[in-house]
Amino acid sequence: MKKRESGFAYIMTSPTMLILLALSIFPLVFNIYYSLTDYYYLSHKDPGFVGFENYINILKDMYFRQAVFNTVKFTVLAVFFETLLGLAIALLINSMHKGRKTLRTVTLLPTLLPPVTVALIWQIMFSNNYGIINKLLGGIGINPVNWLMDVNTAFYAILVIDIWQYAPFAFLLIYASLQSVPQGQYEAAKIDGANVWQQFICVTLPNIANGIIMVVLLRTIDTFRLFDKVNILTKGGPANSTSTITQYIFQYGVKGLKVGHGSSAALIMTVIVLILAGAYIEKSFERQKAL
Amino acid sequence: MKRKLSILVVLCLVISMLTACGGNREVSTSEVSSKGEAVKLVVAARGGSHVDVLESVKADFEAGNNCTIEILGLESSDLKQKVSLDSKNETGAYDLAMADDPWMPEFSEAGIYANLTALGYKEDPDFVKASLDIGRNPYGEGDVYALPFAGNVQLLFFNKKVLEENNFTVPESWEAVLNIAKAVNGKDGKVGYVIRGQQGNPIVSDYLPILWAYGGDVFDKDWNITVDSKEAKEALKLYMDLLTNGANYEKNDIVAAVSDGKAAMSLGWPSWYISGGSATAEYASIPSKATNSSTAYPTGMIGNWMMGVTANSVNKELAFKFLQYVTSADIQKKAAGFGGVPTRESVFTDAELSAKYPYFNTILEGTKNSKVRPRTPLWTDIETAYGAELSSAISGTKSIDQALADAKAAIEAIMK
Repeated sequence: MKKRESGFAYIMTSPTMLILLALSIFPLVFNIYYSLTDYYYLSHKDPGFVGFENYINILKDMYFRQAVFNTVKFTVLAVFFETLLGLAIALLINSMHKGRKTLRTVTLLPTLLPPVTVALIWQIMFSNNYGIINKLLGGIGINPVNWLMDVNTAFYAILVIDIWQYAPFAFLLIYASLQSVPQGQYEAAKIDGANVWQQFICVTLPNIANGIIMVVLLRTIDTFRLFDKVNILTKGGPANSTSTITQYIFQYGVKGLKVGHGSSAALIMTVIVLILAGAYIEKSFERQKAL
Repeated sequence: MKRKLSILVVLCLVISMLTACGGNREVSTSEVSSKGEAVKLVVAARGGSHVDVLESVKADFEAGNNCTIEILGLESSDLKQKVSLDSKNETGAYDLAMADDPWMPEFSEAGIYANLTALGYKEDPDFVKASLDIGRNPYGEGDVYALPFAGNVQLLFFNKKVLEENNFTVPESWEAVLNIAKAVNGKDGKVGYVIRGQQGNPIVSDYLPILWAYGGDVFDKDWNITVDSKEAKEALKLYMDLLTNGANYEKNDIVAAVSDGKAAMSLGWPSWYISGGSATAEYASIPSKATNSSTAYPTGMIGNWMMGVTANSVNKELAFKFLQYVTSADIQKKAAGFGGVPTRESVFTDAELSAKYPYFNTILEGTKNSKVRPRTPLWTDIETAYGAELSSAISGTKSIDQALADAKAAIEAIMK
């Protein structure tokens, strides 16, 4: 009986398995294979097996190492501030009695915009020549700042743009979690004499912890793939200070058509993302087992 | 019964998915019709004014050759990628494809274009030699693989009013450019000179004309890497002096600043400032000397858009005919009205057009005094590495010596 049931389960899941096989496993296997070759798309020669040479070259490449450092730094800072800001906005809007719906909708607008549009809008605002930000600074006597061309500001300018765009996404998920916090727990805490901060730490935070973890996971994976903003605004400069792994892969694998080299870099990136997301994925599996 | 029904539904779904995956081969849009219907030519073109030009002139050719022509306007890197990917197909999706001139060595080596000389092309001396040479493989001497569709060469742009207010004339050396920048910078909030120092292609395109004016280059004639030569160090020093006496903007800011008179000078491509018969700033050929007394070198970076017949086109002869049509003198004259820049001397010097588009003469002079970027299929990678190091130098994260030494090491690794 059990055997029949498991056979039935396999049949029921087979369409999903097929899609997974075709769209994830098959490309991954090919990616691993090509990463071990010197495959250059425009070459007339067949790809030659080079073992781990691509990986060794990439790990020795100072541009790649800089790109990894920038990506990790950017991801940590962006995810931290987006989550923090998202949480603050969610708590604020949740505590409001009037105008909650309007503010909720308006807050979400940046997330709805495509990253390319966001990059172009901010490029105009950051403009050294006629941008509104420098105009406002000029109004209070501060000299114009070359936001996207200065090695001291370019990284943080892109960070601000990313936080502006995705903090509302964090807000949305955390706000949804806040709706499921039992009001009775707040009442009990009040009876026990808990102040607002204690209520937040002991009641709100434990109830929305899963929502926050979800935000951190999704934003980590997404931020790690940062590409459009960098490619449009700085092209990885100045002095590689904004280069990212995806931009490196684009430069060599896509633009340069060096499939072998690009595949190796892509695989290294996948491993880093898996390590970062591993803890959450493991926790999810444990939870499923417990159920 | 219910379970059996469910299994049946799932099996049907799986079978239909597999059927969809193994569906009919998509018939290439450019295949010749066996029923004698009109043949369709597909042109992969750089988006923008080039598409406007092609769209405006294709009707006569279609009517005279019983064919239809589809023009696909693509963004630069998208165009390169799509044409490259399609080149591996037995039957190409594109019959003609445009290419930026630095791509030509890569495209030629990969066999993306058909050999036009083998197709019967007779060299036309009316094309400006510097432009036609780009389409040859090897460069300047081999068979012709692509024809120059649109002319382009970097020029020096300046704000006439700013120069006149400070009693300067058009500079003829980089020393003179720096002197003007020093005199103008900071005066009434003005910027002396604007560099385009964004990492990658922008900074390399902006710096190379200065390097060439100093007698330097990326490679010598034996392909030894010379980016760290004495001339290169002097050129980069001047470039950084220009930045000290100016600013580092991206393209739109550069154009706005020079046009509005906020900045005195910059290098640029004609289409940034010139539209139709009017220009938002004055222009001249790029100074070809380091100092007023030093040797003059070709410095105008050429950036022609080429067009060739793809090697895997099934309509090569008709595509070749269309290529000759769109690069003919008559069509280039018509194209000028749609923003097209010619590549033929007879069109550049046409009295009527010269009166209407006075910048044609400057572009012709610039093209004759032009220089191509190194003719290597590895240029894309070299430009990336070189641009990163130049950016490090102007950002102050590396000294000139260190940045150029690192650039040399990176280019050596690429050339291996």
